[in-house]
Amino acid sequence: MLSPNEQIAFILLVVVCGRLAFQGFNRIFKTVKSGAKADRSDNLVGRFMNALIDVFLQKPIAKARPIVSMFHSFIFFGFSFYLLVNMNDVLEAYVDGWTTIGSDNIVAKLFNVFADIFSVFVLVGMIFFLYRRFVQKPKVMEFNTNVKLHPGVSAGGLKKDSLIVGIFILIHVGSRWLGTAMHLAGNGHTDSWLPTASIISGLFSNWSHASLETGIHVTWWLAMGLIVMFLPYFPRSKHIHLIIAPVNLALGRKTARGAMDGISNPASPGSKTLSDLPWPQVLDPWACIMCTRCHEVCPAHESGTPLSPSALEINKRYFINEQGNALFNDAGETALMDYAISDDAVWSCTTCYACVEVCPVGNEPMMDIMEMRRNQVFDAKMPDELADVLRSLDEQGNSFNESARRRQKWSKKLDIKLKNATKEPVKYLWYVGDFASFNQNCQDTTRKVAEVLSAAGVDFGIMGKKEKSAGNDVRRTGEEGLFEVLAEQNIKMLEKCDFEEIFTTDPHTFNTLKNEYPDKGGNYTVKHYSTLLLELIQSGDIDLKKKLDIKATYHDPCYLGRYNGIYNDPRDVMKLCGIDLVEMPRNKENSFCCGAGGGRVWLPDHDDMTQRPSENRIEEAVAVGVNKFTVACPKDMTMYADAAKTSGNEDTMAVKDIIDFVLEAMDLPEPIMEEIASSYPNEEVSTEPQSEGLDL
Amino acid sequence: MKIVVPLNQVPDLVEDLEVDASGKALDTDDIKFKLNEFDDHALEEAILLKESGAGDEVVAMAIDRDGADKMLFTAIAKGADKVVKLTGGNPADSHQLGKAFANALESEGFDMVFTGVQSVDDRDGQLGPIVASYLGAPCVSVVSGISISGATAVVHKEYSGGMMGEFEVDMPAVLGIQAAKQAPRYAPVSKIRQVQETASIMEASMGDVGSANGSAVASMAPPAKGSGAEMLDDIDDLIDVLKDKGAI
Amino acid sequence: MGDILVITEHLKGEFQDITFEMLGKAKELAGASGGQCIAVTFGNMNGKAGELGMAHSVVSVGGSDDFNPESYAAAVQSVVSAKSPSLVMVGSTSMGMDIANSVATALDITTVSYCADMSSSDGGFSVTSSMYGGKMNVVTDVSGSAVAMVLAGAFNADAGKSAGSPTVEDFAVDSGAGKVRFKQLIEPEAADVDITQSDILVAVGRGIGSKDDIELAEELADILDADLACSRPLVDAGWMSKAHQVGKSGMKVKPKVYIALGISGAPEHIEGMKSSSTIIAINSDKNAPIFDVAHYGMAEDLFDVVEELVEELED
Repeated sequence: MLSPNEQIAFILLVVVCGRLAFQGFNRIFKTVKSGAKADRSDNLVGRFMNALIDVFLQKPIAKARPIVSMFHSFIFFGFSFYLLVNMNDVLEAYVDGWTTIGSDNIVAKLFNVFADIFSVFVLVGMIFFLYRRFVQKPKVMEFNTNVKLHPGVSAGGLKKDSLIVGIFILIHVGSRWLGTAMHLAGNGHTDSWLPTASIISGLFSNWSHASLETGIHVTWWLAMGLIVMFLPYFPRSKHIHLIIAPVNLALGRKTARGAMDGISNPASPGSKTLSDLPWPQVLDPWACIMCTRCHEVCPAHESGTPLSPSALEINKRYFINEQGNALFNDAGETALMDYAISDDAVWSCTTCYACVEVCPVGNEPMMDIMEMRRNQVFDAKMPDELADVLRSLDEQGNSFNESARRRQKWSKKLDIKLKNATKEPVKYLWYVGDFASFNQNCQDTTRKVAEVLSAAGVDFGIMGKKEKSAGNDVRRTGEEGLFEVLAEQNIKMLEKCDFEEIFTTDPHTFNTLKNEYPDKGGNYTVKHYSTLLLELIQSGDIDLKKKLDIKATYHDPCYLGRYNGIYNDPRDVMKLCGIDLVEMPRNKENSFCCGAGGGRVWLPDHDDMTQRPSENRIEEAVAVGVNKFTVACPKDMTMYADAAKTSGNEDTMAVKDIIDFVLEAMDLPEPIMEEIASSYPNEEVSTEPQSEGLDL
Repeated sequence: MKIVVPLNQVPDLVEDLEVDASGKALDTDDIKFKLNEFDDHALEEAILLKESGAGDEVVAMAIDRDGADKMLFTAIAKGADKVVKLTGGNPADSHQLGKAFANALESEGFDMVFTGVQSVDDRDGQLGPIVASYLGAPCVSVVSGISISGATAVVHKEYSGGMMGEFEVDMPAVLGIQAAKQAPRYAPVSKIRQVQETASIMEASMGDVGSANGSAVASMAPPAKGSGAEMLDDIDDLIDVLKDKGAI
Repeated sequence: MGDILVITEHLKGEFQDITFEMLGKAKELAGASGGQCIAVTFGNMNGKAGELGMAHSVVSVGGSDDFNPESYAAAVQSVVSAKSPSLVMVGSTSMGMDIANSVATALDITTVSYCADMSSSDGGFSVTSSMYGGKMNVVTDVSGSAVAMVLAGAFNADAGKSAGSPTVEDFAVDSGAGKVRFKQLIEPEAADVDITQSDILVAVGRGIGSKDDIELAEELADILDADLACSRPLVDAGWMSKAHQVGKSGMKVKPKVYIALGISGAPEHIEGMKSSSTIIAINSDKNAPIFDVAHYGMAEDLFDVVEELVEELED
């Protein structure tokens, strides 16, 4: 029970701090509102319900760092319960005689025991986190030295904020805990419903009643006063994730991961400044808890390049805090690439989606990068190599600067004649893709797919020289216009064809055909070949005669796994072939990107790169004791075939495609291949060689 | 300073080229056309001069043919202020092409004309000096370095062996561009599509282009293979040759 | 038939090889058609008329020793107007281009570019031009007056060198409007390498794909103790310096061995290296024109070949 003066003082404190806090929150609201349009209003009730349930079950944070997440849960449950505790404290202060201590009410007793145990949870959790950030200082919490950081961050701002928050919590919870102990000391006996408080109440056993009374008032003020005084600091601190994170999770993107948003303003596409970003992405910085889970899984950061998705969000927040109200005038015109992320970093992203996947608070730093790329590309600002590749895609329809007529050259080595899907009906249209067609490391795999399907009697055909790149990575480099042109041309060609389903060996192609072409008018049933292979094996069309007694690991391609949730089909295919599948630690949604996506395969490695992501991955496979690395993507094939060599594992790690296992397990006799050749109509698409262009 | 850049399309050499049935012309079946890369350099140089403040206006011109619109919109996307399509004829050779542009340039007015130094199909002469002759303007071709000072340009003309001749040229003049100060910029398709919505292409008559240059093609054929290279089968053969010729 | 006029080309007081290449052919053609071969000299080059023995006579237009597109073209125009030759041969070079097109347009004469070969045919000449990056040879029959721009190296320079004393005629010409003024000759910067002195060259073209991949060629060059060279596009793209450029506006090289990687073989490049003793070309396009000038070739992906080659040679 507080004295009348204290009661008045507290109310005044609440009013003053509340007002300051409100201003802070208001600025957040105003800033977020200044962001570009985005519609997240569908099913609001469902969104919030699901978000709250997820948060309650601590699912988002448990995606990574299990032990750390456990300690977070301590704090989460403890602090959540503390809402009730604080309400109880206010009642104690203002209602004469109100207390739960010593009450016989079962509700009160339960309240007590939870309050007691959770207090300790929070204290233990908080000490753990302070220890982690200040003593253990895990390397993963550091940024690569080449990452652009806001001066406030370089000056140690993150540590400062953590310290302030940490100390606040320790004092808030700690003093409340001590206060309870003093209360018990005052009552003269312990309470089994307040086990830990009872233990330390022994410390105060010989305090005078007056001292205890003072102590109780002091601890009350420390606990409650501090939390009120903390309110205005809240909006400037990562502590606000308490509120913003669930909101961010609730209002997160629920559309297909693999479908990029359209461009809202074609006259000025993408994002240059903070307010150009769609508003949910303006909200992200306040949800960010600076945990660096994102850059821990980022292939760019892990390989030493200047990209840290964590730094991006943190820089945004520091900039916002620094600008204050100037943000709504000219400071708002400052380009993101001036303060939040460097040019090199923007182009280092492989679009693997790992950062978005792992973020416990629903942030999407990758989307910021996509928006910035769109804006840069519109002004023709991009690495020169990219410009050359985009030119090639525009002029020749492929990224290899080869004549389109050479697109089917890979099939010349086959005994089988392939059906031309642009000239006759087929059941399955095989969208081969650039890499599978042109890249010499991939062509063997492409041929094997043709052989397997032929032997299985599948009715399929290809578009040959009429096929152009599907444009998935074009879109992800920010050249929306070129993507649209390719999509339009491809859809026009597909409309001329007569087929039931499309399949492809390339997850990038799969992704855009499935998720993005419908928006452009192309609605097809699209499958990755692993799904098709599984169907064919299960139906018996592909007859697996041999059981391969081999151990192998499987690498989940980003665009098949994380983007489209297909993890089991390739694994099932492998198991049906008799493969003993050994998983790498980073598997399924935690798969580690090969480094080729987002146009990176067309760009030179950054000078600062310490080790290619693909080499890192090969070493992971070596460490689990397998000598076969299985892929289901042509870009993976070429990246890992190269990485096996450059990491010195050429003789210890063989890179296989799932089709290799299927073909081997089918155990086809030689004469069958010739029979197959004669059962296809003589349709050969012209495959003239090409020249290298004018050379002076 | 107003710079006008004539743009021309040429066959894309990435494709294989074949002779048609007449034996005198290219088979146009599988041919693709693209902007002459030297014209691209000419446009780039013009835009760079504008961006540096030396030039005020860049105008691109093209003959009305398939693909001209896209080429002109692309020029705007790169930074051209105005684009003009020349209609009313179909120039058959470099001289008629030169006359068409000369006619248009006279009406349009110019301080400088930048053309690509040559193109892969200009059998009957290079456009720059031809246009200059019709206009009665001075011309320097094979230029790869330009600086402007008032109504005079100082240009570097490339000779062989890395040598260059420095010349002063009084405007109005024509320059045949070998290389711009930097590689021609990429024109984002996003921007081109945007430009297609908002910008417009002026049209002008190409006027009387006169008669053809009088040199008809007698025949066309890929170079005789005959004594070509001795093709080697594998690396060992290659190593043998290298050893034999004293490289190893 | 009429005479054949050969427009000589000189730099720093020396006649360039193209002059002799044209003279040799002109003499041959003039002989067949019953006309004279007349050489046109500029500035004080008439002093070296003794080198132009292949010509029947020399027309000296005087004027500036330093090439000037405007005055040289005006001079040639005066000569051609006066002499009415049936053929004017000009080098398909930087200097020749300014002269040939200007004269032909002003006098309304046929022009034929990129001549790789010429012969007499009834009533005139049959000129073969190397077009489309060297992928097509186009034959043009000309009769009446024509200006032919001759590719450097199309004909043999030695066949055109002969000491003699052709009559020299001083010819007054129009000096042009004075709107183009020569200021100075700029020598190339001293470079770390003089590829014209190299025994072995490893040359890369557009087929190398990216600046980073030049490393592979460098490895090969290291093992062979060779120097790196390149075609023009790589210099324009900033991947290599001009000192390495082989071709029309770059260096003319005659190494013992010239290994061309990913170079298609357009005339402008060939011009710079066709005198190499042994040319080995690696290009994945079996139809690339380079295989016509190369002595040995492999129609394979250059990366595969070079990687394997480097591996083998390292052992």
